[in-house]
Amino acid sequence: MFERNQKTIFVLDHTRYFSIASEEYISMDFLKGKPSADGGATGAAGNATGSGGSQFSKSLWTCACESSIEYCRVVWDLFPGKKHVRFIVSDTAAHIVNTWRPSTQNMAHVMNAMLIVGVPSRNVPTSSDYSVIHGLRAAIEALAEPTDEQLAAMADFGTDELPRIPNKGRVICITSARDNTSMKSLEDIFNTVLVQQNTLAAPPSKKGLVIDHCHLVILNIVPLGVESLVTNRSLLKISPLLDVEIHTVSAPDISYKLTHLILNHYDLASTTVTNIPMKEEQNANSSANYDVEILHSRRAHSITCGPDFSLPTSIKQGATYETVTLKWCTPRGCGSADLQPCLGQFLVTPVDVTSRPSSCLINFLLNGRSVLLEMPRKTGSKATSHMLSARGGEIFVHSLCITRSCMDEAPSITDGPGGRVSDYRTAELGQLIKMSRVVPLKVKDPSAPPLTRRLPRYFPLTTSSSILFHLQRHISWLPHFLHLLVKEDMDKQDEVRCQQHIHELYKSASRGDVLPFTHTNGARLKLSKAKDQYRLLYRELEQLIQLNATTMHHKNLLESLQSLRAAYGDAPLKSEPGASLLRTYTESPLSPERLEPISSVGASGSSSSNSLLKASKRRMSSCGQRSLLDIISSAERSQSNKRLDFSGRLCTPLGQVAKLYPDFGTKDKDTVTTGASITPNVKEESVRS
Amino acid sequence: MPTLIALDASLSMLRPVPGRNEHTYQSLATKGIQHLLDNLTAAGKLEHVALLSYSTTAELKVDFTRDYDQVRQAVKKVEPVDKACLMSMLKAVVSIMSPWGNQNILQVVVFTDCGLGFGNTSITGFLEAYAEKESEPEFGFLKTLANYNLNFICLGLHGDYYFTRGLAVYQQLLDKVSLKGQLFMTKPAKSSDAVEGNPNPNPNPSHKSELGRTTVFELIERLCEASYKSSEVTLKCGSYFRMEASVLLWPPTAPYEQKSHIFGREPTIRHTDQKIEVCGFLSLSDIGSPATLSRHWVLPKVEREKSGSSRRSGNLSAAAKPPKLNLDTSNPNYELEKLEADIKEFYAKDSKDTEESGDDDVTIVLKPGPQTEQQKENLCVLLHGALKMENMAALVRVGDKWYGFIYAFTDSKKKSNLMLNILPPGTNVIPWLGDLESLGFPEDLAPGETASFPVRADRRSYSQSSVVWIRQASLQSDVQKVLRHAKKMPDKTQHFYKELNRIRRAALALGFVELLEALAMLLEKECAHLSLNGASNDCTLQLQHAATELRKTSNRDMKSMIVPLQKVGASDAGSTAATAPAPAYMY
Repeated sequence: MFERNQKTIFVLDHTRYFSIASEEYISMDFLKGKPSADGGATGAAGNATGSGGSQFSKSLWTCACESSIEYCRVVWDLFPGKKHVRFIVSDTAAHIVNTWRPSTQNMAHVMNAMLIVGVPSRNVPTSSDYSVIHGLRAAIEALAEPTDEQLAAMADFGTDELPRIPNKGRVICITSARDNTSMKSLEDIFNTVLVQQNTLAAPPSKKGLVIDHCHLVILNIVPLGVESLVTNRSLLKISPLLDVEIHTVSAPDISYKLTHLILNHYDLASTTVTNIPMKEEQNANSSANYDVEILHSRRAHSITCGPDFSLPTSIKQGATYETVTLKWCTPRGCGSADLQPCLGQFLVTPVDVTSRPSSCLINFLLNGRSVLLEMPRKTGSKATSHMLSARGGEIFVHSLCITRSCMDEAPSITDGPGGRVSDYRTAELGQLIKMSRVVPLKVKDPSAPPLTRRLPRYFPLTTSSSILFHLQRHISWLPHFLHLLVKEDMDKQDEVRCQQHIHELYKSASRGDVLPFTHTNGARLKLSKAKDQYRLLYRELEQLIQLNATTMHHKNLLESLQSLRAAYGDAPLKSEPGASLLRTYTESPLSPERLEPISSVGASGSSSSNSLLKASKRRMSSCGQRSLLDIISSAERSQSNKRLDFSGRLCTPLGQVAKLYPDFGTKDKDTVTTGASITPNVKEESVRS
Repeated sequence: MPTLIALDASLSMLRPVPGRNEHTYQSLATKGIQHLLDNLTAAGKLEHVALLSYSTTAELKVDFTRDYDQVRQAVKKVEPVDKACLMSMLKAVVSIMSPWGNQNILQVVVFTDCGLGFGNTSITGFLEAYAEKESEPEFGFLKTLANYNLNFICLGLHGDYYFTRGLAVYQQLLDKVSLKGQLFMTKPAKSSDAVEGNPNPNPNPSHKSELGRTTVFELIERLCEASYKSSEVTLKCGSYFRMEASVLLWPPTAPYEQKSHIFGREPTIRHTDQKIEVCGFLSLSDIGSPATLSRHWVLPKVEREKSGSSRRSGNLSAAAKPPKLNLDTSNPNYELEKLEADIKEFYAKDSKDTEESGDDDVTIVLKPGPQTEQQKENLCVLLHGALKMENMAALVRVGDKWYGFIYAFTDSKKKSNLMLNILPPGTNVIPWLGDLESLGFPEDLAPGETASFPVRADRRSYSQSSVVWIRQASLQSDVQKVLRHAKKMPDKTQHFYKELNRIRRAALALGFVELLEALAMLLEKECAHLSLNGASNDCTLQLQHAATELRKTSNRDMKSMIVPLQKVGASDAGSTAATAPAPAYMY
């Protein structure tokens, strides 16, 4: 977390020397020939002018600037917000280009600041005030300033001083020295200032953080073709606080040197994607294969390697480091949804961000394609070792698992437990899964309901475990009814609709209508089977409501359903011993009497042409607001009508009349003993009379 | 977990087991291997197994396979040859195991009587050599070997000095070379035999033998308990009790050492929770291929009845017939389970009644008779089918701020099952999904707000129109672009000035004033060239204007912009045009 590469500071020498030419001349020859083609005096004059002025050279300053900016481009692409790079320009004083603050750690800020800095001036006479020492001094002060991460870590410990926050950094100084003596002097001054800074940081002053260690990289710049009197030197320990290395570089090669150094500084590696098919720039009808070099974490390579594999490496022209060559494979489109077995994912940036091959590859990936990369095995065959893909505007290299894995062969799910069951409710669960897709929120409300409240509280796994969910494929109004039942915010209107549906079911049950199950098509069910169906249906409905009872309306529905179950004679008959233990029914004493008329009604119902579907149609057509009392009253009225028919038929034979009278007498007795049923019996008497 | 079974084929394995003349050490080892394969078969035949026999040399009898019958047949044909050389065998193991890489836990099970070998090829000789030259390349294979789990099934009697001395040296080997290993041995016999001083104790039939088929089976059981136990967790998907199931994660999850996010704290060893809960669902195309810590099959757990009878028959009975569903009235889900059982019974009865009615067209929904394990519904199969159908994965929470994905994985042979990918701990481990704890449902969005994957990162350098001129070709390409726009003025005037200012600004930032001078010169040449070819006045005037502006010192300021020459100044342009022929005339 607090490694040396956490902080990097470029000190750019802005003295007069850096205004001289790098001596690498750039030609615009592609325009040179045209004027001479015209001939004539004017043409000749133009040609002379062109040949004289078509070549120019970058200054040392430009070479230093663009190479340093390229260095931080790579860092900020690969470690966004995590590794920090600062710039300090030094001439008569140190000019601070950016700070550790995140808002200044980006290319736009640095480029804007450089506009203010401008070219080193050539007209100022040589003076001892012009020195890179100012910048180096400022760099040491900058190392003592904490980053946001260091501030946060210090806050974590509060006033506890015991565990000190590490503070290390790297200073890359781009300057030019006359000879080794001057370079030595530079080192000594740096070390002295470093020690002084830590004295200031020590108690009681506590000015900034103590610097634990600094790695100073000095790039000694000369124009192309100029020999330097400064000797190159690898890393040398100057003091416990300071390591220094010195590189003499010709100006045009600064960027190559920095690319080489950045690999070590941030533990990076280079990969060259080879054989990328692209249309040629000049001729859209043909294509050629191009290579693109990218940088990423070294772990992208090491995490994949096994004993049977070796990464093919090469050193490209102009570079001094190895690059791994991986071959382009046929890309896979957006449609491929397979999760690749991926050991690591690492951010990627191209070495040459503006070249046409790089741009083509980048756009290809940013448009949603992904690319597999091949490496050769020792045995001669090939393995797909990596994959390039872009997500959210960032490009990643994924390290794939290429060694043998015990996960390569799936144990077939059909061979395991439950694998041969054929009636899972897979489609229903699939719908629920689609409805439960998550999206990224900017701010998540802690009180937002979790997934458990979105998934149903009652979900049988198979259709053969359920009556309700089996039926909903055949009864058109049932899905909506079930949807209303599970609403968390059920209102009065929902309750009324559900009451109507429940009562409709009750009427169908009373008539003995057959529930439309697929496997019984064409077969007549016994009466007892139909009853069993309804009993199970009521029980399942009751469980469904109980599990989803979140409002008073749910409880009303539950009570209504339970009373209807009692009226149907369900609970007492089925589990009378259980009922006595678990619940009581006030109407239990009435069961024997009620069962008989229901049975007779069922018999007549079976001959009725009314089906459950027709009944549901009639019910749906009348959408009036009706109370439960109205529903039950109308039901009782219709039952009375049917009973009238029955007695009418019985009147025809004279002998049957005599039987009717004793039953009538029995009901009269019930009227006396049970006050609750006075009203319906009175109605019945009035109808009969 | 690839398992290499190494069978000691030295001559000492042919010795009869004292007091058990019907067994030799080799025959006991053979039975042990058979029992190990029985256990792996009962666990689902998931392990890859290979068989290696070794004496002076090591010979691979069966390469890694899930077809255990090959191994059963091969183990019967192993014949002892020579003295034992354990170190040669271990070298061969490293070679044989190399295709598996580091992502698997590699198991080695060695059946041996702990013979030490002889001379410089003995274990003792090796340890003496190793003590002096630990870092030599000769011992490089030990570094790889340290990644393996070495399990030694030690066949011998504690009264046998040959065996007990070998045990001590084997333990030394594991300790000094820092290998991960374990010695499985029988418990010593009762001390009464030793007290009696009988050099050849005759086993009393009523006492359990110190070494025999039964004790070897016990060693195998302990081995399986130590090294082959699946991680058992509860998978939970919503609040309904049927949407929760016990599952086995295979291979088992390993502890993870997580660095502390607070500096200075010791790393913590983290384990996955006993409960894995589904938090939401995402499409596989949104997830992509994130880095994974480990991958596991999610397999339904089979409830087994433990029986007091012998293990073999116990296994058979467990495989043959699962126990009946036991409805416990104290179960909080009793009502639901009873309802479900009654509904199923109704359907089953209904089929029978329909059959009795003689209707031949009826399709039987349920088979009558006892259900096999494959006939009993399981949450895993349902979830697998739904995820596969929708090409989605379930985001699951495996620990505190620790997540994974469960999805349907299909291999190259078109077999499919539920797989769990465990992500590294943390909530920001997949940049394009954002904070996993900030995932919610569309209804939770603020009004008018939209959200979708991927979560966009800040723009990287390759997504901006960067200007990098380190290579000459890039610089020339940019200049060429400006000149191309120049030729097409006045149609491309805006493009020309936009590109011109872009180059100018970058040049100023880099202190590349030489480029501005060269560009001005190029524009002037182009102007002269186009004039001769009869280009429009607008074009030549703009080019001259641009060249002039590029040279002005006052324009070397970040706030200034070079803007097109306005047509309002037509009279001025006219006067300039009038002046132009003069130099030519003078010349």
